Amino acid sequence: MIISEKPDAANRIAAALDDNGKTMRETDNGVPFFAAKNGDKEIIVASALGHLYTVAGVNKGEWDYPVFGYQWLPRWMVEKSASKIRIWLKVLSKLAESAEDFVDACDYDVEGSIIGYSILKYACRGREKLAKRMKYSTLTREELRDSFSNLLPHLDFELVESGLARHEVDWLYGINLSRALTLAVRNSSGMYATLSTGRVQGPTLKYLEIREKNIRVFVPTPFWSITAKISIDDHMFDLEYEKKTIETKAEAGGIIAACKGKDGKVVKIDVKEFHQNPPVPFDLGTLQSEAYKFFKHTPIQTSKIAQHLYVNTLISYPRTSSQKLPPVIGYNAILKKLSQSMLYQKVAQKLLAQATLKPNEGSKFDPAHPAIYPTGNLPEKVLDTSEKNIYDLIVRRFFAVFGEPAIKQSIKVSVDINQYLFFMTGYRTLKECWMEYYKPYVYSKDISLPLLFEGQRVAIEKVLLRNSFTKPPVRYNPRSLLKKMEREEIGTKATRAMTIQTLYARKYLEGEQNMTITDLGFEVAEVLRNYCPSVVSSEMTRRLEEKMEQIQLKHETKQNVLVDAVETLKKVTLTLKHNQSEIGAQLGQKIKQAHHDKQTIGNCPKCQTGKLITIRSKKTSKRFVGCTNFFEGTCITSFPLPQTGSIKPLAAPCKACSYPVIKVLINQKQPWNLCLNANCPSKVQKK
Amino acid sequence: MSCKICSRPIKEKGYCSLHLKAYQNIYEKFGVWEKALEVSWMDYLVKISKNSLTGEWAKEVVEHLIEDESRNVKEK
Repeated sequence: MIISEKPDAANRIAAALDDNGKTMRETDNGVPFFAAKNGDKEIIVASALGHLYTVAGVNKGEWDYPVFGYQWLPRWMVEKSASKIRIWLKVLSKLAESAEDFVDACDYDVEGSIIGYSILKYACRGREKLAKRMKYSTLTREELRDSFSNLLPHLDFELVESGLARHEVDWLYGINLSRALTLAVRNSSGMYATLSTGRVQGPTLKYLEIREKNIRVFVPTPFWSITAKISIDDHMFDLEYEKKTIETKAEAGGIIAACKGKDGKVVKIDVKEFHQNPPVPFDLGTLQSEAYKFFKHTPIQTSKIAQHLYVNTLISYPRTSSQKLPPVIGYNAILKKLSQSMLYQKVAQKLLAQATLKPNEGSKFDPAHPAIYPTGNLPEKVLDTSEKNIYDLIVRRFFAVFGEPAIKQSIKVSVDINQYLFFMTGYRTLKECWMEYYKPYVYSKDISLPLLFEGQRVAIEKVLLRNSFTKPPVRYNPRSLLKKMEREEIGTKATRAMTIQTLYARKYLEGEQNMTITDLGFEVAEVLRNYCPSVVSSEMTRRLEEKMEQIQLKHETKQNVLVDAVETLKKVTLTLKHNQSEIGAQLGQKIKQAHHDKQTIGNCPKCQTGKLITIRSKKTSKRFVGCTNFFEGTCITSFPLPQTGSIKPLAAPCKACSYPVIKVLINQKQPWNLCLNANCPSKVQKK
Repeated sequence: MSCKICSRPIKEKGYCSLHLKAYQNIYEKFGVWEKALEVSWMDYLVKISKNSLTGEWAKEVVEHLIEDESRNVKEK
């Protein structure tokens, strides 16, 4: 019996191991499993559905904190939405009864190892010690068969131990801190709101809070810059004054006065040649970063797309932190396969013609998997646009890492204008090399300069003064926040994107491209910083991450890590309980405000003084929009609303009638904008 | 006692910790503006209150300071 992580992967594994490449799909109570024949072995490949077991409290009924008693339970016993898992586990147990040998073929990483381990331990009744392990990085037939022929003798217990520690520590942090916040609000204001925080969520929220604070307290300061325009052969070129920023208007004015009407003299021409190395292979973080840059995919979208490409055997395992491509993956074979595609033929053949293929590897290493690379398989089915984009990005990156360094040239021309030095800088790409392979994801930013010689006099057409102001720091976007988390070494490649998503789900964060912390998020961050600074400290989180890695290397034990976590949490929860009423009052106010803001659609276009809010009729239970002045008896303005889906007010009023506009979002449907005015000219036109 | 601008508790000079940071920034940056443009304190406040790059909390403090200054001038 082979256990894989998902049904799709189970199907692939069964097909690969079957001598005839065929699988027999069977089901038991709707749970699929696949039969295959490999030599004289009868194989059943069953699968999990992601995590089937989870950490849960021992006393289910109690809703208080601190909580330190926990156990691993089937997810259906803990989460209402996981009822399907009950039957799933029954089927796995039944299949295990008639199996002689067990193989864990879940993804070879922390999460995959825990999934396989817990099924073998709980559903297969203690088979975790007997089971063997399949290790592979692509779901291609060749690699899977090779992996099955060379099974690892047992599970990677250190990896499992480290993963269990991570889940248990995260559960302890999450349950205690989230309950502390939620109960503080409930006990002080009687309101119920789901507030959460955790070991990685806390520091991430703090980064956003610090950035937002710096933006909101920002005071710009003025500075000046000077450019001179020269005309050569009917073309205008800009010269920049040597000091990029001039701090006083008087100094800037003096330079302008001295340079106006004067000629310039080319005093020096510096030409430098330099090499630009190819990029390094993709690890998950850099793939997510590039995918955001070019396609605006959020990290979690990229993860999902990459996982889909992996299951379809188009790319290697994507949840890797490696930037290395070992020769064992077979560079030549991959390139040969890719050269079958019209799209990649030219570049692949060019690379195959190179004397040697040596990738420009990065410093990051992952013992479990190499960097992300294309398997060489071409899509069997038509990919959708997002999949096509990510696949193309991965293929072209793979090409690029084998390219020669690009050769570039920089030219710096120094021009003296009445003893003030100005510069003109140009760039040229002399040899594109790897850049040619990575197009369209890289382009040469060449800036051409006119032909000049030292001692040449140039006519100055204009000298311009520009007044600017220093700018506040920019808000994080999914790419920069992910990079910050990586730099600070908090979370793992597999969990970072999920953490960001949770911040949105908890309404601590809004805006996709410009991530803005909400007032509620701000307040939660402040509460955590004031009352339990260790929880939001990157240092503490990083130390914990290091300890969990040490478990993998047998330099630390799970028990030690858990004892440390409990000790920290004991102190933290004591402080939180002691300050419960202050915390509750602080958060309660913001929750009320957030609820009010959510209800408010905009200003009343009729009475001009009231606010339009969403109201639910006590009589009919239907929702509609009404003016707050109705309660004062001065305005009866109301508008009907769609009864399904969620509603989001838009900042800009209707262009045709200036009434407020809402966005209606219904599951599985395209969102649409709706002007509240039934007689809006735009609607009349449509009629 | 709450902040002159919001309902948070006072930290110093009548401001909460957030508005206090904005207030300190406004004072710190005046030196740069004074040197750069030879402006008076009041001119400086008006200029940064109209600047779109000034942060939300800094603007709230600036408006408060402008009101204070105007009141002082009237009283004199």
